[in-house]
Amino acid sequence: MSQGAIAGRSGTSPKRRRRRRRPGKGRFVLLGVFLIFLLAPLYWMFITSIKPSDDYLAVPPVWFPSRPTLVHYSAALFAYRGLQGIENSLIISISATALSAFVGTLMAYSFARFETGGKHLSFWVLSQRFLPPIAIVLPVFLIYRTVGLNDTRFGLVIAYTVFTLPVTVWMMFAYFKGVPRSMEDAALVDGCTRWEAFWRVAVPLAAPGIIAAAVFAFIACWTEFFFALVLTSRTAFTLPTVFRAFLGFQGAQYGEASALAVVSLAPSIALGVLAQRHLVRGLTLGAVRG
Amino acid sequence: MSRVGEARRREAGLMAGFSTGLSLWGDRHFKWLLLAPGIGLILALSVYPLLFSLWVSFVNYDFQIPGHAFVGLKNFSQVVLDPVARWSLVLTVMLSAANVTLEFALGLSLALAMVRPFPGRSLVMSILIIPLFISPVIVGQVWALLLQRPFGPTNYLLGLLLRREVTIGWLSESPWVYFALILSDVWQWTPFMFVILLAGLTSIPPNLYEASELDGIGGWLAFRLITLPLLAPMITLAITFRLLDAIRLFDTIFIMTAGGPGTKTYTSSFYLYTVGFTQFHLSQATAGSWILLVLTAALVSFLVRRLLKAEAV
Repeated sequence: MSQGAIAGRSGTSPKRRRRRRRPGKGRFVLLGVFLIFLLAPLYWMFITSIKPSDDYLAVPPVWFPSRPTLVHYSAALFAYRGLQGIENSLIISISATALSAFVGTLMAYSFARFETGGKHLSFWVLSQRFLPPIAIVLPVFLIYRTVGLNDTRFGLVIAYTVFTLPVTVWMMFAYFKGVPRSMEDAALVDGCTRWEAFWRVAVPLAAPGIIAAAVFAFIACWTEFFFALVLTSRTAFTLPTVFRAFLGFQGAQYGEASALAVVSLAPSIALGVLAQRHLVRGLTLGAVRG
Repeated sequence: MSRVGEARRREAGLMAGFSTGLSLWGDRHFKWLLLAPGIGLILALSVYPLLFSLWVSFVNYDFQIPGHAFVGLKNFSQVVLDPVARWSLVLTVMLSAANVTLEFALGLSLALAMVRPFPGRSLVMSILIIPLFISPVIVGQVWALLLQRPFGPTNYLLGLLLRREVTIGWLSESPWVYFALILSDVWQWTPFMFVILLAGLTSIPPNLYEASELDGIGGWLAFRLITLPLLAPMITLAITFRLLDAIRLFDTIFIMTAGGPGTKTYTSSFYLYTVGFTQFHLSQATAGSWILLVLTAALVSFLVRRLLKAEAV
């Protein structure tokens, strides 16, 4: 009887109903408004990129361009050298990502398996993430100037490798912690060297984590602006720095800027949404499992 | 013949001994060998540059003048006495505080709205995280397009809403320019707070809420007694990580306002960039960046200590 009373109470008490109602329709209003706030700028950017130039200053604004054109895309890619920016960005981002993923995997494994150097060393690697970029980029610019690495792809590649290293190391550290040690021990007993146990056993098991970390490193390189702004100029410039060309002009370059933005954000958004399962780990440097 | 065989055998033995010795040595120092390339890179591109810049900040480093005369603390005092430098620090602190507060409040609301399943949730999730994968330069560019006078539609829409003509210079007039910068930052980084806080909310076991319901606790009280304390470590983490990025604000300033009007939107990073790379007072810029580095390090150690304490509880 008492059981029935509890069940009855929890089912029909007004308090229970109040709790159920709490996250009611209001949350959809909030989500709806925020989604509009989020998507409206992207929509405006997209239609600006396909509007003919005479529509720019129309009042009221043209919300649905009736005569779409691709002329801004060709101008952005060729006249403003967007295509070379894409080429440089791809080469630099892919090289830096590969290097960072490889070097980072080695480090993460050493930290995760052997606790090499203790907590201090791994925290020192992490702390690199929090240095103000201006403090690094000023002397790197001066050093690159004397050794002739300014405005070279190689110079930016190694700068980006170091800049993404804390993230790749700490993300993969979390994944290696999740790989059971017994498999490697079995491989060692079977006569494998340490390197073979690492390369043939641990790395394949942690592969999803390595790929996720590489994806986030790539996005970080692809979207980076500050280092590229200082360390490159006429030859090794990356896609985000091309936007400098649109500064200071009144009115004429809206279409070109928007077209370049559309081209530039498509790959990183696609990759990011694909890897979203690992996003929480990526954002918190592996601190949160997500 | 046997002697030749013997010599050969000894040679083979030596070689085998050498290679096993090498692999033994490799095995013994394996963990350090793995670290070597990464640490080498950090030493070359972070530690050495920082030490180099410390030297630069004590001399007069000029491309035109050969020889770098030691000038003591002159570069530091020039930065500290520059009113623009002090203003840029104040602005950085205020903008970061405003951005992080707004992003936290909005991000938490969104996370609470998303924590229970509903049809279409995964699509909404994919859209909400989009700004995280966009270069801040593009975010600045897009908001400049929206706000720019007379091309942007913002003033037109406001005019419809207020039923009179609106001609606000969002990127060129003093109070409005801060709204513009905060708007673009909130647009890009609210999802950051949201994603982390949502992960924290979903990890709270639902049976806690069920148990509290039996005790007649629900709604706001349950939020205060269960959600907030259990979410606290995640809140600290999200705010720490976001704040340490917020204080670097540069890209959107560069694109949207270029520091203007005047020097009203100079953040610390933008100020040091301008001193170093447009005025080419390199020693002054490195001195300033060392001051910024020390301030950042103090903030990092404070926040990380709180973070570790929160995780331990």
